[in-house]
Amino acid sequence: MKKLIAIIATVVLLPAAAIAETFDEAFEMNRAMYGKGYTFTWSGQQYSTDHQEEVEARVDATKANAESLIAKAKAHNAEVAKVGFEWKLTKGLLKDAEAAIESGDYRKALNLAAQAKYHARIGLQQHAYAEKNWHLSVPQ
Amino acid sequence: MKIIKNITIGLSLLLSSQLVFSAQPGTTLASVNPEADRMALQNYFKKRFPDAELADYVNGIYAVDADSREQWEELESFPPYEFDVEEGERLFKTAFANGKGYADCFENGGVGIRQNFPYWDKEASTVKTLEQEINECRESNGEKPLKWGKGAIAQISAYMAWTSRDNVFDIKIPEGDEGALAAYLEGKKFFYTKRGQLNLSCANCHLQGSNVRIRADLAGPALGHPSHFPVFRSKWGSLGTLHRRYKGCHKDSRSKPLDMQHETFRNLEYFQTYMSNGLVVNGPGSRK
Ligand code: HEC
Repeated sequence: MKKLIAIIATVVLLPAAAIAETFDEAFEMNRAMYGKGYTFTWSGQQYSTDHQEEVEARVDATKANAESLIAKAKAHNAEVAKVGFEWKLTKGLLKDAEAAIESGDYRKALNLAAQAKYHARIGLQQHAYAEKNWHLSVPQ
Repeated sequence: MKIIKNITIGLSLLLSSQLVFSAQPGTTLASVNPEADRMALQNYFKKRFPDAELADYVNGIYAVDADSREQWEELESFPPYEFDVEEGERLFKTAFANGKGYADCFENGGVGIRQNFPYWDKEASTVKTLEQEINECRESNGEKPLKWGKGAIAQISAYMAWTSRDNVFDIKIPEGDEGALAAYLEGKKFFYTKRGQLNLSCANCHLQGSNVRIRADLAGPALGHPSHFPVFRSKWGSLGTLHRRYKGCHKDSRSKPLDMQHETFRNLEYFQTYMSNGLVVNGPGSRK
């Protein structure tokens, strides 16, 4: 009888445990396993493994679109710099994106700006994570 | 009644001393306890490298890796920093245009004081490093400040460390001074925080990763990190300051590194040197 209860409990608890996985965890796992362009289900809804920035870069390769994505990336990078989590290559990517606009290669500019924005966004996530969790690595 | 009071005091003393060694990450101003942190770090390395002597941690990676130690001892038999110490002494003793000198700016004429740096400057409400005070000394005497990473500033700092060899690090966090404690805590937080494109903290490489090969290098234990600075590093081919190293290591996590002598780096130095209290000054040193 006890055994049966245990089995029922695991069956009932299992899906709950699967749901307890955060969206970010589910996203990262599916992205790592299937790459971009894959659709996965989380908490009953369907999501794409594309990064937000990959979607943002998938617009018409025009000067205005490229400039707008660079501006967004710059704003994010200013934010992440303020909390001390700016990444090493971000400013260089932004410079290269601007140079690509100069030379009329708007597709390239969009892709570089998307990378820069991704760096800044993940840097901000890192900061938020650190605020809550940095104590985990302090020896006690 | 008196007995009861004594017992209560005794008990609370007991409890508070126990707290020092209890499991507390100390991540807030209310809970941070630098002495407990120092003990915990020592214990971490005692467990990790049971054969290493505590006093030997001033020798960095060479305290825990026999192979590289042999090469290093050979290097140290003709210390590559000897010229820099001599040049540092000459610079230290050369008077400024106004006739004054470095000796006028420091306690004890600047001799044998390395173990007291960095320190909490209550008036300025900030951590002061030795290099910073070298430049402040210059500026208050009408001279231009020196560049932070290498050259003359490292040589002068090396000479001052040389005159302090074997003195025991004695970094103080003045009791009841919240500013000092906050600076220490910021340094500690910086050290343990993952950052950059590689998502690495200093601790990832210098605690968990100590004596683990990272590409071609072995990262040394964090205990004793500042003891031998400035350092003559073969890879640099020159003498460099602690903040030059901080900047390089900060960048190794693929972060945009802070500038040398940035307040956060000074707080980091405050934390790291406090962790090395009880160890001796052995600067300048040499490293691969
Ligand atoms: C990717 C791994 C890595 C990270 C991250 C890293 N370091 Fe290092 N660090 C090394 C290696 C490798 C060396 C050279 C070997 C040695 O002496 O430890 C080194 C050397 C040092 C030294 C000189 C040690 C000595 O004995 O001369 C100091 C000080 C130092 N690191 C501090 C830091 C600080 C502070 C941080 C965080 C901002 C940090 N490191 C982050 C790998 C790393």
